[in-house]
Amino acid sequence: MFILLVLVTGVSAFTTPTVVHTGKVSESPITSEKPTVHGDNCQFRGREFKSELRLEGEPVVLRCPLAPHSDISSSSHSFLTWSKLDSSQLIPRDEPRMWVKGNILWILPAVQQDSGTYICTFRNASHCEQMSVELKVFKNTEASLPHVSYLQISALSTTGLLVCPDLKEFISSNADGKIQWYKGAILLDKGNKEFLSAGDPTRLLISNTSMDDAGYYRCVMTFTYNGQEYNITRNIELRVKGTTTEPIPVIISPLETIPASLGSRLIVPCKVFLGTGTSSNTIVWWLANSTFISAAYPRGRVTEGLHHQYSENDENYVEVSLIFDPVTREDLHTDFKCVASNPRSSQSLHTTVKEVSSTFSWSIALAPLSLIILVVGAIWMRRRCKRRAGKTYGLTKLRTDNQDFPSSPN
Amino acid sequence: MEICWGPYSHLISLLLILLFHSEAACRPSGKRPCKMQAFRIWDTNQKTFYLRNNQLIAGYLQGPNIKLEEKIDMVPIDLHSVFLGIHGGKLCLSCAKSGDDIKLQLEEVNITDLSKNKEEDKRFTFIRSEKGPTTSFESAACPGWFLCTTLEADRPVSLTNTPEEPLIVTKFYFQEDQ
Repeated sequence: MFILLVLVTGVSAFTTPTVVHTGKVSESPITSEKPTVHGDNCQFRGREFKSELRLEGEPVVLRCPLAPHSDISSSSHSFLTWSKLDSSQLIPRDEPRMWVKGNILWILPAVQQDSGTYICTFRNASHCEQMSVELKVFKNTEASLPHVSYLQISALSTTGLLVCPDLKEFISSNADGKIQWYKGAILLDKGNKEFLSAGDPTRLLISNTSMDDAGYYRCVMTFTYNGQEYNITRNIELRVKGTTTEPIPVIISPLETIPASLGSRLIVPCKVFLGTGTSSNTIVWWLANSTFISAAYPRGRVTEGLHHQYSENDENYVEVSLIFDPVTREDLHTDFKCVASNPRSSQSLHTTVKEVSSTFSWSIALAPLSLIILVVGAIWMRRRCKRRAGKTYGLTKLRTDNQDFPSSPN
Repeated sequence: MEICWGPYSHLISLLLILLFHSEAACRPSGKRPCKMQAFRIWDTNQKTFYLRNNQLIAGYLQGPNIKLEEKIDMVPIDLHSVFLGIHGGKLCLSCAKSGDDIKLQLEEVNITDLSKNKEEDKRFTFIRSEKGPTTSFESAACPGWFLCTTLEADRPVSLTNTPEEPLIVTKFYFQEDQ
């Protein structure tokens, strides 16, 4: 089963899409070579994740995910059939509005009762597979907009682009189809200076996007079949992204060289200016010879401090310190770099540690100082103990004298 | 003799405790900030990413389908190098070589376990370059190969070494995931 899955994926990945410009859609459906009972000995592959969300009265195509880009009809030993979940009938037999061409089920036009789960069955000499596709047909009213709209985003003060999506089958079947763009109910014709044609009618350019350009747009394609015209509508919700949200970070400190004494403790803050915006996703970190600090110093002699974000006079800063404990000779030959990065930009600043011999270092002085204190303390304590010991010695002498006196009369 | 030593040994102990306490205070506590960021990504043709059969696809999502959109997790390595993943960094994008064939893969690797210094993790590294508001990603393990989508919708996200090809899109927009 896994090999088969890989095979299907591989076929899907390597299939080259062919551009077919047929004048009209063939009316005759592909009849199955033998009578089939759907679900019989077929491996069910699951549901296609994307639901098809369309408007009533419009043409709809359902594409079978099992062979999404290959033309099934060209293969002489395989075929594909469609059925609806609540019906045992194959699709072409009982509904003139539906037919199958290749791996695509056409519904023209769709009505709300067409909503439901459709099952495509792919069968060849060696195996049989099934997948389901969900279709929801909505009323063509404003209330349906949230359910059918495509989300697209443009940046403020740039040339925005809107794309009329998912028209591939209709364009290839009807190359001369006209596409009209609307904002709300307003037709955006060629006379409109703010909206430009991109040449390709499926695209709309918005010159110098502003916040007012946000909202619902519609592209409507006219599709002709058997002499009758149908509308194919795609609704798009455009959101305008403010470019000022993310500032370009500016690294203010440290200096290019940092004076330090060997053996001393050293804290080097990297201070980054974030402008006056409300929030930022800027992250700041240190590197030693282009290596993360935690990876370069696993024992923790050099560590990175906490991410500290604060404001001064309505200006935003973030600070991350590099902490040496202690500085060693190795650090004099290491390239330390602070990096500030956010979706908009990355900045970096190099710095090196330079030895300063004249600087008095408390941590160096602390060790011998402690030793001196201990020694002096010990001497002082010994002197006090010696005095008491002296007294004790005197008492002993007196006893000895007493002992000598009785022995002399003998 | 005991009376003589008692009070001074206490003083010595106190001094030692103070020294150690001072030492302990030098080391900062608290966890290191995570460098992984989640972004919404879309190409310059307004296509977003979603998964189908464990493959990353670029297409147009509408209505409730929008919840299928895959956010990109990015971990910066160096000034212009990044690791890219989805699903909170549990699946990582990588460049796979098999003979002369170059393919984009999704590997089940935790993005926080990757390291720039390991040679075997180089296939996960992408060189990020900005041109105006758009960003492109070149594989570090396969130089000259760029992350791309096709102009046509619902096709796999892949790698290309012909970024100027008109039917190929190699430029992307980003927005922090709010």
